[in-house]
Amino acid sequence: MELRMEKIRKKISAGADFVMDIPLLEVGKGEFFGLVGKSGCGKTTLLKIIAGLMTPDEGSIYLQEKEITGLAAEKRGIAMVFQQDRLFPYMNILENVAFGLKMKGLSKKERYQRSSVFLSAVGLSGFENRYPLELSGGQRQRIAIARALVTTPPLVLMDEPFSALDPNLRKEMRDLVLDLHREYGMTILFVTHDRDEAFYLFQRMAVMKEGKIIETGSPRKLYESPGKIHTAHFLGIENIFEGILHYDRFSTSHFSMKLRALSPEKKKGVLVIRPETIGLGTYPFPSDGEGNILEGQITGMNYSFGILHIKVNTSQSCSFDLTCTNQYKDLKEGDRVFLSFPAGELVFLPEEKE
Amino acid sequence: MKRSLDNATLVPFFFVLVLAILPVVFLILLSFSRGWTWPDIFPSSFDARAWRYVMSPHSGTWQSIWTSLKLALITTFINLFLALPAGNALGRYEFPFRKLTEILLMLPILVPPVVILMGLHRTFIRLSITETLAGVVLAHVLPTLPYMIRSVTVSFSKLGFEWEEQAQLLGADWSKRLFHVVLPFLMPGIIAGSALTILISMSQYVITLLVGGGQIITVTMRMFPYVNGGDQATGAAYAVLFALVALILLILLDLSLNRLYREKRL
Repeated sequence: MELRMEKIRKKISAGADFVMDIPLLEVGKGEFFGLVGKSGCGKTTLLKIIAGLMTPDEGSIYLQEKEITGLAAEKRGIAMVFQQDRLFPYMNILENVAFGLKMKGLSKKERYQRSSVFLSAVGLSGFENRYPLELSGGQRQRIAIARALVTTPPLVLMDEPFSALDPNLRKEMRDLVLDLHREYGMTILFVTHDRDEAFYLFQRMAVMKEGKIIETGSPRKLYESPGKIHTAHFLGIENIFEGILHYDRFSTSHFSMKLRALSPEKKKGVLVIRPETIGLGTYPFPSDGEGNILEGQITGMNYSFGILHIKVNTSQSCSFDLTCTNQYKDLKEGDRVFLSFPAGELVFLPEEKE
Repeated sequence: MKRSLDNATLVPFFFVLVLAILPVVFLILLSFSRGWTWPDIFPSSFDARAWRYVMSPHSGTWQSIWTSLKLALITTFINLFLALPAGNALGRYEFPFRKLTEILLMLPILVPPVVILMGLHRTFIRLSITETLAGVVLAHVLPTLPYMIRSVTVSFSKLGFEWEEQAQLLGADWSKRLFHVVLPFLMPGIIAGSALTILISMSQYVITLLVGGGQIITVTMRMFPYVNGGDQATGAAYAVLFALVALILLILLDLSLNRLYREKRL
């Protein structure tokens, strides 16, 4: 394990009071690991604890199996990229990138040689003698990344590095970071509240809420079979219904469906239905043998990037969000449609005890 | 980015320039005049009597320039020593009565320093630091320190903590952070505060006279009797000399500090 955190506790009192409590967090060598969660959930605090800018109240941190809990930030050798580029305005680009090497005491020649390698890796060779304020926001963030990587740190922390950038630039920057990760194989711990970013970048990620890690896994696994309601919420699944599971039937006051889950006694919980698993038809489906078919009316439609987002009300106070590719060109708001719910794709989550 | 002047700003700029330059021109003319009376626009005859006297060894001019320089520089260093920690606290930290503290530290220039010094004078006598350089330096700190604190505080609040954090994560220990991050960021404030200190210290008359008791003779002290007592040419020559010394000092300050920290586009 490249990074291991054990029994970390830290009282946080910025805005909302809560205690950060991380029993165990492990990040493997060369892994692109994400920390996701809504703002204020403590993900930046966790990053600062790893970097050494904050000290935990309890617990220990290991980097490459060596304990670094009490080590000063400058001795950890961990690099960090912040939301703001934080380039030193009075140094030119080359001096900025070479700063880490200068602190290590490398000769000027060596510093500048290595820095130009990383400047070209981020696509900005030729900018050596410019000053930060002459560059655009995207270019500055590229320089900040080059500056972080130039010392080939074992672990690179990134705290929402692209959230201050223009949305068009973000994709470009994500691709750049993915390329750099592929090429140099460093371990990256990346914080974001943007789920698009999470899906795009991470091999594995931890979902955080109020200072605790709710769930860890690959973005795909967490999306397709979330283990916690919060995970489903965070990943943008809106079809979450409270109800009761009895044997293999899940019932709410509006509908009841057959699931693959089984519970001999009545169990309270929620049903999570991913929007792309819902089947859509304009005339009654032939029975699927499970009876998971509902009739409703389209109350909203929305088209983006070849995908239709449709909202269907099956009764006064029960609606489903679904997505499908653009094969239903003639559908319009107000149309009556039929929805089918394949039992294998329905996820039941038992009620969580606080 | 610096912009070029347009006409709307150029006219007032020119006006101010004339206001600033004209007195200096007249001072120089006056210092070379041999009687300049109404209604002459220019002096009727010139000679270098005043300058010959001012430059002569027995006038004590050079000694007084050296005294002025010593006073100004020592005062600046003491101010820096006191103002840097104060500016750090005021500019970057939140604490109870911060705003009040800031105002209290401004008091020495809100109340005329002479008034404060009148009260302090007895204490100075008791400590027997009157008529010494140390006493005068202490007296000069009084009206200059608030300016130094003010300008350094602004620099500190601009610095914040994030730059030091960044440098730390790039492997800089505290001494390297001080040298490569903190000082370059504070440099504009340090230059501004030092320039003000030097100018204010050099132009003190009453305070220097009071505490120095006539033993500490600065350029201003030499100049004053002539301006006051009728030999205007000599007074003007001292005034021009004073301006030159101040100007050279400011240029040197700016050059040396900028050389040290190639200060660009902050």
